[in-house]
Amino acid sequence: MNSIYQFLGRSPKSQLGPLERQLLEELWKCKSATVRELLDHGDLKLAYTTVMTTLDRLYKKRLLDRVAEGRAFRYSPRHTQEEIKKAAAGETIRQLLSSSPAASLPLSYLVEAVSEHDAGLLDELQHLLDRKLRQIAKEKA
Amino acid sequence: MFIARGIGVSLALFLLVYVPASLAVSRGWNLLQEVFDPRTARASASLLFALRMLPFVLASVFTLGLPLPSFLLLEPRSTDETVGAAPLVLGLCCLALLVAGIVQAASAQMKTSQALIKWLDGSTVMDSTDAVPVFRTAKDTPSLTVAGVREPKVLVSEAAIAALTATELRAALKHEVAHAQSYDNLKKLLFRFSVFPGMTGLERAWSEQTELAADDAAVLCCQDALDLASALIKVSRLTTLQPTAALTTGLLHSSTALGTRVQRLVSWENAPAPTPSSTRWRYALPSLSGVLFLVVVTYGPMLNGLHLITEWLVR
Repeated sequence: MNSIYQFLGRSPKSQLGPLERQLLEELWKCKSATVRELLDHGDLKLAYTTVMTTLDRLYKKRLLDRVAEGRAFRYSPRHTQEEIKKAAAGETIRQLLSSSPAASLPLSYLVEAVSEHDAGLLDELQHLLDRKLRQIAKEKA
Repeated sequence: MFIARGIGVSLALFLLVYVPASLAVSRGWNLLQEVFDPRTARASASLLFALRMLPFVLASVFTLGLPLPSFLLLEPRSTDETVGAAPLVLGLCCLALLVAGIVQAASAQMKTSQALIKWLDGSTVMDSTDAVPVFRTAKDTPSLTVAGVREPKVLVSEAAIAALTATELRAALKHEVAHAQSYDNLKKLLFRFSVFPGMTGLERAWSEQTELAADDAAVLCCQDALDLASALIKVSRLTTLQPTAALTTGLLHSSTALGTRVQRLVSWENAPAPTPSSTRWRYALPSLSGVLFLVVVTYGPMLNGLHLITEWLVR
């Protein structure tokens, strides 16, 4: 996941362009593919070299993995679509919060973004809630 | 020249009240909260907001009520007096402070408007009987947000709608509507306008209390409380961040606040016993009336005295 955050944390210029987004979506659909497979099976009307260069760029942005297959590479997405969307939503809040002190923007969130380190805390809180729900169910029974 | 001197002296005196009052509030808000001891989160948030705005309001009322009329009524219009160095420097400092406040508020508002335009792109209006409109936004937008100052809107992302049950979503929306109805975003903008260093602690405490107050407004019974607690946990899981150095304090703070909120909701009891209001509030109205009476009675001599101080300051 670190690579998503590192990628999203860069300047907007380094974020995904329309072609990069399109190829990433194709790869999410087919799980993994070579340049030739994408051109043969997808709806792409692009030159071989354009697809090859764009996939190489996505690999360098650490959004794709690749393994050598003959004289070409087989590319696969490093993160799921959900992970990217989740990271993008978090990044929007992070950018807003980091540009100003706490409570500085006229926005109210249900909860402020919590860090990955707080996953344990969320588990504890869920456990607390589940225990309370079980207790209520027992009382009703 | 008369007008320039008037503005310079007024700004200088504004600063002479604003800075000590702000310093007193930034150092002593904790103590005042203990003295007044508000019993509900809403009362606590209101007290903290009043304390945060007190220096600006006090300095404005003082300047518009005393130095300005004193100058206009008692200062001769045709005089060759110039503005002295002290009021000039103080006036310029005050002007810089006011401009900084305007720039901060405008920048915060602009940043939010830009984000709002982006988030509302492709959104749809959800059915809602509340006075506050609710918009369904794309997956890659913040889960549940209230945005807008004059006309607040509630934004719910598709990811949040998919993650929450109907009752959890209803509780979460009620929480957001409570923020909108208490104009919390407008208050945040006022904080940015009345700029003064060292107010972060007070603003953070206010922010925590507004969250608790919105939780209170969203919950009518034990089941509502559990629904809201569940929504808080689920929405937190939707947006997790990699901590960065600049954000560490804010994130730890928000996690602590989240834990407190969920624990508070889980231990919610139906129909809590009404708590007696603090007796200290009973003295507030008579004290205020007394102060007002004194001001009215001594207003004339006060204007004369202040004019003498102003003359001394200008020289």
